Amino acid sequence: MTQPANRAESSPVESPSKSDLAAVLAEIVGARHVLSRPSELLVYNSDGLPGYRRQPRLAVFPGTRDEAIAVVRLLAAEKIPFVPRGAGTGLSGGALADDIVVVGLHRLKKIISVDVENRRALVEPGVVNLKLNRHVAAQGLLYAPDPSSESACTIGGNVAENAGGPHCLKYGVTLNHVLALTVVLPSGEIVELGSKVGEKDGYDLRGAFIGSEGCFGLALDVTVKLTPKPQTVRTILADFMSVNEAAQVTSAVIASGIVPAALEFMDGPTIRVVEDSIYAAGYPRDAEAILLIELDGPEAGVIADLETVRRICTSGGARNVRVARDDAERMKLWQGRKKAFGAMGRLAPHLIVQDAVIPRTKLPEILETIHRISEKYRVLVCNVFHAGDGNLHPNIAYSADDPDESERVHKAMREIMQSCIDAGGSITGEHGVGLDKMGYMESIFSETSLNAMCELRSVFDPERRSNPGKVVPVHSCREWQGVPAVRRAEKQPTPLEAEPSRPVA
Amino acid sequence: MSTASIAASIKESFAARTPLRIAAGGSWLEAGRPVRAERTLSLREESGVTAYVPADLTITVRGGTRLSEIEAATRETKQWLPLDPFGSGDGTIGATIATASAGPLSSNFGLPRDLVLGLEFVNGRGEIVRAGGKVVKNVAGFDLSRLLTGSWGSLGVITEVTLRLYGSPEADRTFVIHLGESEKQITSLLRALVAAPLSPFAFVLVSASVSRALHLGEDPVGLIRFGGNSAAVKAQAGGLAQIANTEEIDSTNWQSLREIEAGSHTSLRISGLPQRIVAAAARILSDDVRGVFTSIDPRRGVIRVVAGSAEGTASSPEIAAGIERTDSSELVFEKLPADLWPTVSPSVVADPLSQGIKKAYDPHNILNPGILGDLN
Repeated sequence: MTQPANRAESSPVESPSKSDLAAVLAEIVGARHVLSRPSELLVYNSDGLPGYRRQPRLAVFPGTRDEAIAVVRLLAAEKIPFVPRGAGTGLSGGALADDIVVVGLHRLKKIISVDVENRRALVEPGVVNLKLNRHVAAQGLLYAPDPSSESACTIGGNVAENAGGPHCLKYGVTLNHVLALTVVLPSGEIVELGSKVGEKDGYDLRGAFIGSEGCFGLALDVTVKLTPKPQTVRTILADFMSVNEAAQVTSAVIASGIVPAALEFMDGPTIRVVEDSIYAAGYPRDAEAILLIELDGPEAGVIADLETVRRICTSGGARNVRVARDDAERMKLWQGRKKAFGAMGRLAPHLIVQDAVIPRTKLPEILETIHRISEKYRVLVCNVFHAGDGNLHPNIAYSADDPDESERVHKAMREIMQSCIDAGGSITGEHGVGLDKMGYMESIFSETSLNAMCELRSVFDPERRSNPGKVVPVHSCREWQGVPAVRRAEKQPTPLEAEPSRPVA
Repeated sequence: MSTASIAASIKESFAARTPLRIAAGGSWLEAGRPVRAERTLSLREESGVTAYVPADLTITVRGGTRLSEIEAATRETKQWLPLDPFGSGDGTIGATIATASAGPLSSNFGLPRDLVLGLEFVNGRGEIVRAGGKVVKNVAGFDLSRLLTGSWGSLGVITEVTLRLYGSPEADRTFVIHLGESEKQITSLLRALVAAPLSPFAFVLVSASVSRALHLGEDPVGLIRFGGNSAAVKAQAGGLAQIANTEEIDSTNWQSLREIEAGSHTSLRISGLPQRIVAAAARILSDDVRGVFTSIDPRRGVIRVVAGSAEGTASSPEIAAGIERTDSSELVFEKLPADLWPTVSPSVVADPLSQGIKKAYDPHNILNPGILGDLN
């Protein structure tokens, strides 16, 4: 059931045959780094959200900056659409290529320079998030955005998605940590966005590029800001016998004005599945919810805030409030949280994850609504999410091979999303729109707003060849409305389209 | 007035190709390149809080809302918007976002681009566009909020903004730091201060002219502000006292510092790698030109030069040129006398991407035409 959504926007020009194209690409990157056999391409059929599958036509992996430029220029000359891809850990189907070319950037993995004094680093797009962190740790620095996939995801992918993570509550998302980028536009032209040395005026093209989900071209290098490691870190585990109490405590901590480094929520089903897995963190199995609250900064301030948070938790009904004694215990508490999605693999072969954001005061109400929806459709929703910024990740483990269950799961997810939208929220906080949430874009943005996005995209990529068919539905783009071929070719994937898929690792 | 009536007015101007000057509080009209416009579109009536749920720590306000109104609305609930652009509190949020203006708090709380969660604007065809949202984390769609922030009204008229708020600190204390006599002394003190495990809300160094204006003596000084819970602030103040010779002063000095710019003719900003700015700071501060006010944010890596008199205006581009020659840096002019604009700074929107965006959002070039330089 492969739909031609990706091809929709590109004009059907006479392209070179697949083998011809593979041959010229091989001249640039070497034959080893071009894949064209369906069996070899299998791994590029999906990203971190296995509900979607698309078969790429070819995959090419440049090993140097010059090779990457040459590949993009060749594709430009031949007018061939392509999808930039990092580690493929994305959770929105954003890195899928439907019979077009995947340009994989994971071989561009040099940390070009680290300027310890000025706290910045220049890296290639394929550098793995955690590797950068390990590289600068000895200098007392860190790269703040910490998506849960940090051990695999790349900086280039983080830029494309404007990735977040638990510690974004205090430190901000990727956007707040990228100073400059060198980008190769889909036309093959190279531009510098932002400034490596200071603050520029003019339009914030760097800001526009970050989070553009691969639709504006691909980054060749990224200058990121590094953050000094906090002097003191304290991690609190508070457990509750009711979801509502934990939600109320979350709202109370935020309302107190304290900005925790992270404030994470896990409900009973999530706790138990984590505790049953190899990632067992010592969470109380009988609790209905836990909060993982981290405070960091200069010592005296952290200690004082710790007491305030403890008081809020206790008076809000926490059964136990435990502070991790040492780094080893902290790491264990965090590992359970960060590997929670992986642990869900124990429940059922397939998993659907949502990423809606709601105003933080609506948390108790929405969690109640989610519970009601899960009962209505007889599905098991596990909630594990960034409570501090209202970024929910309700997820449902299920078997896609059971059509009745699949249908109930999809209906439940749609209803959950709708209730978040109705609460004044957003459809995605950090995973991106990709293919998965494109169908919801019209429920939060007007026609003119979507058209303004199309216009911006057209400036960076007039031919719409870079990651076509993602983020904004083609029919929302005014300039394309009159093109009958495009209208005909466009088939939107339904949100949460059901397909048999591999288990989440 | 409403967004709809602003849209109608811009639609009319679009049809007639009438260039518009976008204005609200009027305190920014002297900034930017001279605008060639026949009519003024005023957002003065577009003011007030649209939505404010304190426990969400977000606020939605109309574009013409004065910063002082936001301060008053949030103060009651012990919250604040840590955005302190130079100039007076009469400036509006729309102008602050449109010009991406930031003050001393930005090295801790971020620039306007970091505080804006979403906005509504009307483009040059009179169409209403909403970007971002009202929640604190959002990656739905391409980031038009960032694009509009700092676009000086040339891509759209900002009619509404949603911002992130913070809880007011329990303690908020400001200290003056006596920097010492020689350039060498000053430089080593600055290095020690920047390297120390201090996390101030704000830290700036000011020239002797600013010290005099603030009645803080005859020499360049540092101003540092700590906020947070009382224990944290006390510990930070103690840590500072071990490194430097300090004295506590009233926090109203920050407002006075911002207001030095209210009547200025010229203001420019040089930014560079923080360590380079630290290395150059002592020399720059020792250059005491009458009528020129210099302040340096060593953590953000920004030098700000403001001239309040004709005498100062004549010399400030030279100061900028001198710094520009010695350091690799970015130079941004905010205010200049009209006749100086063509001589010092070319268009900042001359690149093909910026021009493509301008043409898409304002095809007839009717929104603040010329303010960021001419299109090709």
